[in-house]
Amino acid sequence: MMRMPPFTLHTPASLDEALEIALNLQDAEKEFDWVAGGTDLLPNYKWHLNSKKNVISLANVTELFELKATHIGAMVRLHELVESEVVHPVLAKAASMIASVLIRRSGTVGGNICLDTRCYWFNQSENWRESIDWCHKCDCGTEADCRVIPNQNTLCVATYQADLAPVLMCLDATIHLASSTGTRSMQLTDFFELDGMTRNKLQPGELVTHLTIPKDSAQWQGDYQKLRQRESWDFPEAGVAVMWKRNGVNAPNDIRVATTGLESIPGFHQSQAQHALEDWNGKESIMSLAESIRKAVKPVQNTWYTPSYRRKMTRIMTKRACAGLLEDSK
Amino acid sequence: MAEKKDMVGYRQQPGKLPFTRPGSGGKNSFSEPRDESMIPASQGGEKNQPWGSHRHDELLSGRVIGKPTSLIDSKWKVTGQAHYGDDIRLPGELIGKIVRSPHHYAKVLSIDATKALELPGVIAISTGADASQKFGVLPVTKDEHAMAVETVRHVGDIVACVAAENEMTALEAVRLIDVEYEVLESIHDMKDGLKDSEKPIHDRGEYHIGEANIQKRVFQEFGDVNGIQDNAIASHKSNWYFGGVNHAATEPHAAVAHWDPSGRLTLYTPQQVPHYVHRALADVLEIPMHQINVHRTFVGGGFGGKSDPFPHEMCAAILARKSGRPVRITFDREEVYWLNRGRHPSHIEMNLHADSKGRLCGIETDALIDGGAFASFGHVTTYYNGVLHTAPYEIGAFHYTGARVWTNKPASGAMRGHGAVNSRCAVEVGIDDLSEQLSVDPITFRLANLLPPHSATITGFRVTSIGMRECLERVKEESGWDEKFRKMPLGRGIGIGCGFFISGSGLPIHWDPNKFPHATVHLKIDMDGGVTVHTGAADIGQGSDTVIAQSVAEVLGLPLDMIRVRSRDTDTSPVDLGSYSSRVTFMNANAAISAAMKIRQELIEATVKITEAPAKKLVIGDRRIFRKDDPAVGVSYLEALHKAQEERGALIASGAYRTPPMGRAHKGAAAGLAPAYSFSAYVAEVEVDPETGQTKVHKVWAAHDCGKALNPLAVKGQIIGSCHMGMGQVLSEEMRYGRDGHLMNPDLLDYKIPSIHEMPNVIPIIVESNDPEGPFGAKEAGEGPLLPILPAVCNAVYDAIGIRTHNLPITPDKMFKAIEKKCKLLGIDDPLNLPSPIIEHSELQSTLKARAKTHTQRDIDRRLNDDIEAYHNGALFGMDPTIPPDEVDEKWTVSVLPSKEYLSNPRLAGKAWLHTERRRRGD
Repeated sequence: MMRMPPFTLHTPASLDEALEIALNLQDAEKEFDWVAGGTDLLPNYKWHLNSKKNVISLANVTELFELKATHIGAMVRLHELVESEVVHPVLAKAASMIASVLIRRSGTVGGNICLDTRCYWFNQSENWRESIDWCHKCDCGTEADCRVIPNQNTLCVATYQADLAPVLMCLDATIHLASSTGTRSMQLTDFFELDGMTRNKLQPGELVTHLTIPKDSAQWQGDYQKLRQRESWDFPEAGVAVMWKRNGVNAPNDIRVATTGLESIPGFHQSQAQHALEDWNGKESIMSLAESIRKAVKPVQNTWYTPSYRRKMTRIMTKRACAGLLEDSK
Repeated sequence: MAEKKDMVGYRQQPGKLPFTRPGSGGKNSFSEPRDESMIPASQGGEKNQPWGSHRHDELLSGRVIGKPTSLIDSKWKVTGQAHYGDDIRLPGELIGKIVRSPHHYAKVLSIDATKALELPGVIAISTGADASQKFGVLPVTKDEHAMAVETVRHVGDIVACVAAENEMTALEAVRLIDVEYEVLESIHDMKDGLKDSEKPIHDRGEYHIGEANIQKRVFQEFGDVNGIQDNAIASHKSNWYFGGVNHAATEPHAAVAHWDPSGRLTLYTPQQVPHYVHRALADVLEIPMHQINVHRTFVGGGFGGKSDPFPHEMCAAILARKSGRPVRITFDREEVYWLNRGRHPSHIEMNLHADSKGRLCGIETDALIDGGAFASFGHVTTYYNGVLHTAPYEIGAFHYTGARVWTNKPASGAMRGHGAVNSRCAVEVGIDDLSEQLSVDPITFRLANLLPPHSATITGFRVTSIGMRECLERVKEESGWDEKFRKMPLGRGIGIGCGFFISGSGLPIHWDPNKFPHATVHLKIDMDGGVTVHTGAADIGQGSDTVIAQSVAEVLGLPLDMIRVRSRDTDTSPVDLGSYSSRVTFMNANAAISAAMKIRQELIEATVKITEAPAKKLVIGDRRIFRKDDPAVGVSYLEALHKAQEERGALIASGAYRTPPMGRAHKGAAAGLAPAYSFSAYVAEVEVDPETGQTKVHKVWAAHDCGKALNPLAVKGQIIGSCHMGMGQVLSEEMRYGRDGHLMNPDLLDYKIPSIHEMPNVIPIIVESNDPEGPFGAKEAGEGPLLPILPAVCNAVYDAIGIRTHNLPITPDKMFKAIEKKCKLLGIDDPLNLPSPIIEHSELQSTLKARAKTHTQRDIDRRLNDDIEAYHNGALFGMDPTIPPDEVDEKWTVSVLPSKEYLSNPRLAGKAWLHTERRRRGD
C-alpha cells in the first residue's frame, strides 16, 4: 500500500484562522500545503512528491463555499458545478468531464485551478523516481536535471492538466487571493506563471478564495472539447475552450480561445482569436483559427499521447468547439 | 402393536428426538418434482439433443446443471465478508516490505542493513543469502530466487526484505538499507536479446543458446510447406507488434506466512495454483512438503497473474521463520507491475496463403516474444504462439518459428488466453485480408475451411466437439452481417474474429500424466445429509467452487445449499494442478462427477434394499430416489443415506480425472494438447473518428462454444468480461516503456483499462456442442472468449476506415498517424473524404458457399454418428482423411529442426536458430 508520510493536519474554521495558522507556520519556517478536496495533493503525498510536514485543510472554512452565477468559491465541489443551474453551461460541461464522479464529489474549483502540473517522470513512486535519479521537479536535494528535455535544469516542463481554467479564462473570470497581508485580485489569464514548478502567482501563505465571473457571461456561448483516452478518470491530453458573443447576427462580435493540457500553464490565445474575427467568414475563419491555435501550442513528451498528436488534435478540437458558430444565431 | 413392542426399553428423553426423516435435508422440506425440461431426450426427458446424447445424461437430475446460478460465494463477497490475501490478520503479525532494485541490470556488491536493524521495531531482515535455492513454475526453467543472489535483473527486482512492527517502520527500514551495485549494460529491445551478449541475463550452462539471451526457441513445420508458393494465388503478410499487457486484477498480491507452534508453515495467499507454491516453498525453505500448508484465500482476480510461485511468498515465509512471528506482505499497485507475468510484448510476422479453391494452403508464423527477466511460463508461451492457431481451420501447411528472449524488464508470463491471443489476432486479421484479396465474404471463407468434429489438426491435436460453425452462423445472423459488412458509411464498420482454446492442458507440468490424476475430488457425507467436497481447485472468482458444487448436487439430486466446498487448504484438499489453462471445469467437474457417481451408486443400492425395486428402474430427483415408472415408490435422500451409512457411518468417495493418451511424438507435441477445445466467433461493430483516430466499440455479438453451459450465468459473465479485457489490449492497455527502458505507467491511471464508458453492449451467445468427454458435455469458457475480440475489432476498424492496423493497442495517436499516411497516399486533404471499403464478390464466393453447405452436413453426420472414421487435417487438400498425411505423402513434412536452407535466410525469431547450444559447440 502506498503510504503518506506523516504530517500535522490543521483544520481552521474560518478564513482568518486559516491565514493565521499559515502565518505562524511561516514564522516558524515550517513548510505547509493547503488541502481542499485532496484529490490532487494526497495522491502526490502517497508518492512522496514534495510533501510537507504541515497541511492546512480548508474543509471547514465556510467563506469559501459560496456558489452563484457570478461568484464561485474555491471550495465549491466540482460536482456542484455540474449539478448547478446557475453555473454557465460550458463551465458545467467542462466540470462534468473531470476525472470521475467520485473524484468530482471531493475535488474543488480552487484545487482544480491550482492543480499541480503533471509529468510521466514526476508522478511516480519514490522507488521509481530513484531509478531515474530523480528529476528537476522533485529532485530530493540532488539538483537533478529535467528528464523530459535533458540538459536544461532551469525550466520544469510538467504539464498543466486542469479542465476548468480554459473555460474560466474564456468567461473572463477574475481570481481572488487572500493572505495574512490582505487580499488581491487579478484576471485569471494573469494568474499563471510559466514554469511547471512555479505554476502560478500564489505566494507562500496565500490561497485562492473565489473566482468572479462578469455579469454578461450569459451572453457568451461556446464549448469545451477534451482529448483523452477514456471518457472517465483521465486528465486532458489537450483541452480547448472557445467562447463567443453574437448580437443577433451570425458573425461573432468577440471570440475567446483558451487551451489546457498542452503546456505548463493554460494558454489564452487572444491574438489568434482577434485575428479570426477580422473578415469573419464562417467555416474558413474557423479552420484558420483552429490552425493558428495548433501552431500556438507546444506540448512535450510527458503524457499518454505523443506531442505531435496532441497538437494536431488541438486543431480538430478547436474546430469542433466552434461548431456552434456555424449554427444560426438565436 | 408390533411397532410399539419394538420401542420397549427405549426411553424417549426430552431433546433426544429421533432423527428427522423424509423430505428433510435442504431448507425446503418438500421434494420438488423433476424438472423434465432439464432431462435430456436420451433419458426420456424433454430436453432436445441436437448434438446427440452424452455419457453423463443418466446422471442429470434436472436440479442445477444448465440453470443460471449465482456463485455460491457471491454473498460472502458482496457483504464484504470474503477474506482476501491482505484481510488475513494473525495475532502478533509483522509487516513485511521489500527492498527493490533501482537498476535495470546490476551486480549486488554488498548489502548493509546495520542502520535498518538498529531502528526500533525492525524485527528481521533477510537477503538472498538466506535462500539460495532456485524455483520457477516450470521444472525445466527454474531461474528465480526469493531475493537477488548476486544479480538484479530489472528495476523492481527483489534485493532484500524487512519485517517490522508496523508499516511505517518497515518502510523506513527499507530506506535505511544500503545496497551497493555495479551497474551492468541492460537490454530492453527484444531484438537485442537475439544477439550474443557479454553477460546474458541468465546462464543456462551447457544448454545456453550461443551467448545470447534466448530463453526458448521453437521450430515447427507440418504439411506441404514447400508447396505453399506454388499453390498460393493470394498471400497475406504482416508484421505485428503487440504491446505487453498486465492482468491488472483488482486485488494486488499479498501473502501472510505463519510458522505455527507445531513448527509447520501456513502460507495464506491469493493463488491460482497453490500446489506449485507448495512445491516451490518446500524447495526454497528446504523443508518437506508435509510441513507446509498453503491456504488459498479468496482471490480478487487472477487471469494468470497469480499462477506462478512468487518471490514475495518466499520472502514472507523466510521473514516469518526468522522472526518467529506471522508476516504479512501486501503489494501496492506498482509492485504488481514489477511482478507482472502479463502478456508478452511480441513481434509477430504472419503469412497466410490461399489457393485457387479458397483453401488456406499455408500459415507461416514467426513470433519473437519478450520474456522480461525470468522464464515463468515462457517455455510454454513460445510454443502456444504457434500451435494455438492450427485450428479451427484445415490448413495445407504450417510453418512456425518462435523465440522468447530475456530482457531487463519485469517478467512476462501467462495471461488469459495464454500465448494464443496475439498470434490469433494476426491470423484472423490475415484471413480478413485474404478474403478481401479473393473478393469473398470472410465469414463464408471461414465456414468453408473448418475442421469437422472428431478430427485431428495438422499438428496432431485431437479435436472432439467443435461448434465453430454454429458460432459463426449465429453471429452472422444476429449481427445483421450481410446488411452491414462493407456497406456502412465511412467511420462505421463491422468485423469478424474467431478463436479456439485449450480446455485444460493435456500434459501436467510436474508429472507423467499416466501416473497421477490431474484432478482429484473427495466427498464426505455424514448423517445430516450435507455433502462436504474437498478439492484443490482454486476458485479465483471464476466460480470453480460453484461448478464443482453444481456437479455434485446434480448427480445426487440435492439443492446447492447442501453442498459445502472446502477448497482452501492443501492440508485437507487433494492435490490439484490449479486454475490455469482453463482446466478446472473440465477436469475437476469430471473428478467431482466420478466421486458423486460412487455415492449415487451407494444410495441406489440402499434404495434397492429398502424398496426392493430393481436398480435399473430407479432415478434420482430432488432429494428423493424413486421408480421412474412409478414415482410413488421411492425413498427420501436421507432414508437412503442412513440405510447406506448403517454399519459404516459417513460415506466417503474419491473421484479423479486424467487426460486420455493423445497427440503425436515430435518434440513439443504435447504443447497445446488438450482433452477438448473451445471455439468462439465474435462480430464487433465499431465507430472510428477519421479526424481523431478514436475508436469506439458499440456492440459485440459474442458466440462461444463451451460444450455445455453448466452455469449459463457464469459463462455469460466470462464472455462479457473477456470482451472487456481483450478490448483493453486492442484499444488502450499497454505496459509502456520509456526511452531508457523504464516502465512509464505502473499505475491504474496511466495503464488505461477501459472504463464503463468504453464498454460496448455485448450480446453473449452460448453454443453447446456437447463434448463427449467434458463433464455433462462442458468445455472451458474462461480464456477462449477473449481471443476473438481483438481481431474482430481490428477487422471492424478496417471496415470502417480502410486501414489495417498491425500495432496494438490501436491508440488514437497511432490510428491518426495511419490515417494521415493513407490520406497522403491517396492525395486526400480531409480524412472525412477517405473512401470506405466495399466488396464485390468473385466467383469463388459461390464455390465457398457450396463447400460450406456440404461441410455443414458432413459435420452433422460426424457429430451424431457413433461410429465415425478418423479425419486428419489434409483431407480438404485431397489426402486420405483416415491417415495422417505425412505417413503417406512425402511432401507432407513433420519437422522440428530448421534446415540449412532456412538458416540462410531466417525470419526474425528464426534467427534464434543461428546460435548453437553450448553443449553442441564442442569448445
